Amino acid sequence: MLESQILLQIAWTSVSTATYYVLFAIAFALTLKVAQLWNFAQAGIMGLAFYAMYAAMLGWNWPHPAGVAFGLAVAVAASVCIEVWGFRVLRGRRSSSLMIFIFAIVFAEFIAYLLTLVFGTEPQTLTRSIMSEVHLVGGIAISDWDLKALTTTAILCLALFAYLSFTQQGQFLYAVADNGELAELYGISANRAYLVSLVIAAVFVSFGIYLYGTRASMIPTAPLELMLFAVIATILGGIGSILGAGLAAIFLSVLQSASILVIPSQWQGSLTYFVLFVVILFFPTGLRLPAWIRRVARAG
Amino acid sequence: MNAPRAAIRVTDVSKRFGGIVVAENVNLELRSGEILGLIGPNGAGKTTLFNLICGIHTPDSGEIWLRDQPLSRVPVYRRARLGIARTWQNIRLFPTLSVIDNLLMGPRRYPGEALLAGIFGARTRRADAQAARERAEEILARMGLSDARDKTPAELPFGQQKLAGMARTLMNDGEVLLLDEPMAGVEGQVYETIRQVVRDEASAGRAVCIVEHNVSFIRDLCTRAVFMFNGCIEQSGTMEELLASDKLAELYFGGRS
Amino acid sequence: MEYVYSVLVMIGIYTIMASSFNLIIGFGGLISIAHPIFFALSAYASALVNLHWGVPIPLAILLGTLFAAAMSVMLSLPSLRISGDYLLIASMGFQLGFVEVIKNVDFAGGAGGLTGIASIYSGPSRSPAFVVTTLTIAATVVSVVHWLTHGEYGRAIRAMRDDEECFASLGRNPMAIKITIFAVGSALAGLAGALYAHYFQFLSPEQFGITQSALILTMVVVGGMGSTWGPVVGALLLTALPQAITFLNLPPSVMAPLQGMLYTGLVLLFLFVRPAGLVAKRLGQ
Repeated sequence: MLESQILLQIAWTSVSTATYYVLFAIAFALTLKVAQLWNFAQAGIMGLAFYAMYAAMLGWNWPHPAGVAFGLAVAVAASVCIEVWGFRVLRGRRSSSLMIFIFAIVFAEFIAYLLTLVFGTEPQTLTRSIMSEVHLVGGIAISDWDLKALTTTAILCLALFAYLSFTQQGQFLYAVADNGELAELYGISANRAYLVSLVIAAVFVSFGIYLYGTRASMIPTAPLELMLFAVIATILGGIGSILGAGLAAIFLSVLQSASILVIPSQWQGSLTYFVLFVVILFFPTGLRLPAWIRRVARAG
Repeated sequence: MNAPRAAIRVTDVSKRFGGIVVAENVNLELRSGEILGLIGPNGAGKTTLFNLICGIHTPDSGEIWLRDQPLSRVPVYRRARLGIARTWQNIRLFPTLSVIDNLLMGPRRYPGEALLAGIFGARTRRADAQAARERAEEILARMGLSDARDKTPAELPFGQQKLAGMARTLMNDGEVLLLDEPMAGVEGQVYETIRQVVRDEASAGRAVCIVEHNVSFIRDLCTRAVFMFNGCIEQSGTMEELLASDKLAELYFGGRS
Repeated sequence: MEYVYSVLVMIGIYTIMASSFNLIIGFGGLISIAHPIFFALSAYASALVNLHWGVPIPLAILLGTLFAAAMSVMLSLPSLRISGDYLLIASMGFQLGFVEVIKNVDFAGGAGGLTGIASIYSGPSRSPAFVVTTLTIAATVVSVVHWLTHGEYGRAIRAMRDDEECFASLGRNPMAIKITIFAVGSALAGLAGALYAHYFQFLSPEQFGITQSALILTMVVVGGMGSTWGPVVGALLLTALPQAITFLNLPPSVMAPLQGMLYTGLVLLFLFVRPAGLVAKRLGQ
């Protein structure tokens, strides 16, 4: 009886921890789908958003909503900048994908060093204490953070789904994702669609990093590892499928939590990389989802 | 070459991209020493058929044979090493290499491709390299390109680029030669050279297949022709038979004949 | 004087690293950030077989180098099978993952580092002998890379970069070339690593992090991708420049990120302002 209780607790906790991974994965998968861009610069955006919130909430003592808004603003502004003065310039020059890769990854590293210089390598959180109030429901501990995280993630995902499915703008993103040049012929600006996808990604990343920062501690090089998690989820979910990426993120998060039972703790850190190899070796085109999920995914 | 079977046999090959059918139940034989013309409007699946034969696409169903060997599990580069050589509609010379270097990429055995073998088998490698160079010079002379040997493709007029593309394909020295619109956009001396080369290669025993819009060129050269439409082979026979067909006239010439 | 010797050795080692990375990224068009990890794997392998099994140092260095090549195939074979994008992703996992592994393996010294590694030379002229050895090997590596990228093999590499599909249709195998280039480049990184291990006689997992990836990439981009001399110039400049900053006597907590920013900032600058690097590439490459 106790066994099943523990398992249930692990399941609940890992699903709620999965929330920020889901947000990161969706952000990554969206830019990959729309702009065909492996946006490794996303790690830089994560770092900027986190430390902007950190400065606002703990440095200047702003209330949380204002702090989140500030982090969001910084992330969106930075995303617009790297798209307009970075990716767009390189695309305009018809640079090879090699150059675009280098730009994205080096930008992320540059931001990591910048943040290290300013904020140091001490682990930081967004709240002075990362304990949140806990309710016992049927013997399972459910914290306020869990509820906040699940609500936020659900709202964001539903909003994105509605935007992509029911607005003209959202349909444009799909048109560009399918065939950018053709979309241009129909008067849809591919550049604009790329920008929109990066901005949406910035929003997802900002909320994700807020959830992360109110639960776990952050160092300037952590976003790179968090992003790698999102990359694995994107591949595992099948490239081009946003829903797939989100589901894969949940799966990976559950896997990670469950591994605590079988893998010694000092090897926990290496698990992500091990999973990366398994995925690239055995599931390079993603797991095949059941047909009904794929149908929903195509609609979304 | 008295081969019992056709050099290339395409049996019941079908291929779709998404919902678009680019080949449907295609059956085709290409025999040694013959020049087979492949005609049909744009989008009929002629180039796709070349891509299927040389391995860039794999068929959804059906099989392609080189003599008695099924090819579906053979990758592109191995098919070339087995002697299937092709040209491209848009030539595709390597822009950073000189004409002679472009040709030197073409032999079935490239000296020094396997690095270790190149280091440990230096003598055979030198012999191979020498042989390739001699063959390249010979082909360039035949094409009238000897003066262009050290130029880059961009420095050549279009006709000479076309010749260089064909010259590179001849370096393969294999059994099968697939030519994708060799005559498009060329005239005069270049036209004559290509015609002569195609004739010579066929009489040397190679199986030649040509995609071409120029009907008089096909009638002049080809022993047999195949008419493709919407991924299907509509008709095959001599060029005269094809030209007599109403269907071809209707589809191809808009019913004008 | 000892300081000058160590800087000269570092210049030699970084020349090997930059040249071999240029072979991979500049000529092969393959992007990976795992170059320092092959350096590390070979350094540890060479040090450990010498330490535990008493393998003579030159043979240990050779074994380390081959080990790096073998590990590189483990990375490149599965990922390149899919696409070049996957090589970068897998290399990130390789880089971050192996640093983590080295930290946790006790026989390799763990997070504290591996000490007591044997030196090739001993006695008063140890350092000058090392300088001569390293610089000679570096010169050899530069010539090997030049020979590889300018002869028959180089012609094939260029053709592959120009048009891979057409290249394959002529009977050439692009996968074989990519995997070979990656293995040779990684082996050379391994050679540098083994030399490093037996000179400094101390290894710690911290040394092979992402900062090293950034540094080597910077050397290649600033010097000029796809040219023989570019990475040499880059290695010289970027080994000398941080040495100049060390004279500023900054605390390490400022020093380390500042160096990182310098490296990555230079890459970003050159990417947009002078993509060809200081040593302009040859026509059309």
